[in-house]
Amino acid sequence: MRGLVPRMAAISTANAPYRASPDPEGDSQSSSSNSPARQDYEESDFYTGNNDSQSSIGVPTFQDMAVSREVCEPPANRLPPEVLISILSKLSAPLDLLNCMSVSKAWARNSVDLLWHRPACTNWNKHGFICRTLSSPNPYFAYRDFIKRLNLATLADTVNDGSVIPLSVCTRIERLTLTSCKGITDSGLIGLLTDSSHLLALDISGDKQITAASMIVLAENCPRLQGLNISSCENISNEAMIAVAENCRYIKRLKLNNCKQLDDSSILAFAKNCRNILEIDLHQCQMIRDQPVTELLVNGLTLRELRLANCDLITDAAFLNLPLHQTYEHLRILDLTSCSRLTDRAIEMIIDVAPRLRNLVFAKCKNLTDVAVNAISKLGKNLHYLHLGHCGQITDDAVIKLVASCNRIRYIDLGCCTHLTDRSVTKLASLPKLRRIGLVKCSQITDASVYALAQSRARAHDQNVRPGDRFPHHPVSSLERVHLSYCTNLTLDSIVILLNNCLKLTHLSLTGVVAFLRPDLEPYCREAPAEFTEHQRNVFCVFSGVGVTGLRRHLNSIPNALGDMDDDQTMTGMMGAAALNAADEEDGDADGDEELEDGDNTGPFGGMAT
Amino acid sequence: MSSTDDQTITLVSNDNVSIPVALKVAERSMLIKNMLEDIGESAMESPIPIPNVNEQVLKKVIEWCEHHKDDPATAADDDSDSRKKTTDIEEWDQKFMQVDQEMLFEIILASNYLDIKPLLDVGCKTVANMIKGKSPEEIRKTFNITNDFTPEEEEQIRRENEWAEDR
Repeated sequence: MRGLVPRMAAISTANAPYRASPDPEGDSQSSSSNSPARQDYEESDFYTGNNDSQSSIGVPTFQDMAVSREVCEPPANRLPPEVLISILSKLSAPLDLLNCMSVSKAWARNSVDLLWHRPACTNWNKHGFICRTLSSPNPYFAYRDFIKRLNLATLADTVNDGSVIPLSVCTRIERLTLTSCKGITDSGLIGLLTDSSHLLALDISGDKQITAASMIVLAENCPRLQGLNISSCENISNEAMIAVAENCRYIKRLKLNNCKQLDDSSILAFAKNCRNILEIDLHQCQMIRDQPVTELLVNGLTLRELRLANCDLITDAAFLNLPLHQTYEHLRILDLTSCSRLTDRAIEMIIDVAPRLRNLVFAKCKNLTDVAVNAISKLGKNLHYLHLGHCGQITDDAVIKLVASCNRIRYIDLGCCTHLTDRSVTKLASLPKLRRIGLVKCSQITDASVYALAQSRARAHDQNVRPGDRFPHHPVSSLERVHLSYCTNLTLDSIVILLNNCLKLTHLSLTGVVAFLRPDLEPYCREAPAEFTEHQRNVFCVFSGVGVTGLRRHLNSIPNALGDMDDDQTMTGMMGAAALNAADEEDGDADGDEELEDGDNTGPFGGMAT
Repeated sequence: MSSTDDQTITLVSNDNVSIPVALKVAERSMLIKNMLEDIGESAMESPIPIPNVNEQVLKKVIEWCEHHKDDPATAADDDSDSRKKTTDIEEWDQKFMQVDQEMLFEIILASNYLDIKPLLDVGCKTVANMIKGKSPEEIRKTFNITNDFTPEEEEQIRRENEWAEDR
């Protein structure tokens, strides 16, 4: 039987040291966390006593001695380095860290790497100071070795090769971000990449002058690379990318958007060599055909996100050639926008082999019919996001079936699905987590659809109520963004109810709907985009953020706006209006196509009955 | 092995005071939790010496663990998140940390030793908040630290890190 005291000492060195951030000294980190071997234990014990000689810790018995020592030793001086680093790592302002560096030698040693971890090259003044220090012959610290992240994106417009040459002395960089640095050429980038064997992520998206030469250096120098974004780098050859694929085998995230020069050979090389790919985005890589798509799926067993928008050479074969026995449990996101050759058969296949898909984008896959939607319904509760815009053959029957199976849909776009009627929207309105719905140009729908959407809160489940919500007893509609442009039958009456019932609404588009082309609504309407024609401007009608709030208030102030409604709806509208004040003004314009990541919100109110 | 709410163990501070603690509370300390898992239930009967922490500090640490005994466990590999550069501290913890500096650092050292990461985190944030906005001389004064730089060295450091001063 082992005694308790020494046992604890051994465990303490194995588990205790809490380190934040990189640790250049490494002076107290134990090398292994779960093997307190017998011989290690002697060392650990010795070490504990030794290192903590400045603190009361490790001096179990001589309490009085500890007291006498504390008189002369201020407590801050007794902190072991890893604790001091934990404290300093809470500071984010560079000036605070610089002030800490000036306190004493010990503080300087423990703060310098935090300060230089990610030096802020946010303006040319700072850039100049940083380069001056890096070029200094006798610096107090080896600053160049502390730089782990370098981001020149804020200087992008004016960066050139000359401005990165002084930075090329840094060889420990892990993340290099040169987004849209159009002035950079191979000679600048090659300097940065040479000997940077620690590089994990490189972003040169938009740096159009970069060619194969840089990629060869990347392949030769950066074997640990995990993330690469070369979007719009049109001068990088297939051969160079094959070299990258063959040498950087740990790549996980790959963004090759708009690299129209890339063909099957380079993508196949990634599929073959890089088995850890989690996300790959080939948006607009228009030469890509079926085989690389099949191989990426077959080989990338952890593939989570596959984006192939506008790769319009892809056919059903890309998916029909998948082996039947294999499933792709990790695949969550699939974007096949405008892969217009695809038919229902491809969709049936992909749903069968990837049952956990969460986000699906099949916009402009014009061949798709109800058969594809029925296949998608098999995803059940896994499906959160579905875009079927311009899949014009879809009918109400398929949508109704979809809603019945997939009740966790948060985002759905059925724009230009012109067969759809109020039957579909009435069902869609019952989705308890629905936040965004796109019905642009679904011209058959009427006010009945909008009433259904407006009333959906009556059906909303309690799960929607989170601790922060203001009306836990009256579940608020989850709807945030509603797109109804060119739904020409709609009238003011239904929209007023929608506005009053959906207090989370931050976006409402009604472009081209005659009933809303009124001068009194213009003050709340967003400015039309600059590139719009005169006609487009005239029909433009989009309310967002404060515009929604303003529109709601305005419509409620017009007596006649509520005139021809039946009592029941008026009632609902007024209750909504009463609740308004609380929800006002807090919604910003969330125009980005955000990913809806929230899990199942079963907060403290989750089990509450209404 | 099930840890029921009413199960109690005894901790012994380095000044030899026995303090009974609910098992659930004590297990906020990963050091104690791992040790109990290693040795098994039999060990719960006998007092557990905490050789590095005195009674006053240990009681204070237990008070924190008591208040936070129902906090959801943070994932072990959550380090990158907890390192997030924020110094927000919840109200109860702020009050809890209103102690003299000696005690503040003793709590930090004890939580480091006992491996109670959330408490260590709160302690570190508290000290970080004491540092924010202060000049080097003010920091030295606050924590009673001796400046061991020569004026030339201090000037060199200031010059080499000038970018951090620039707005």
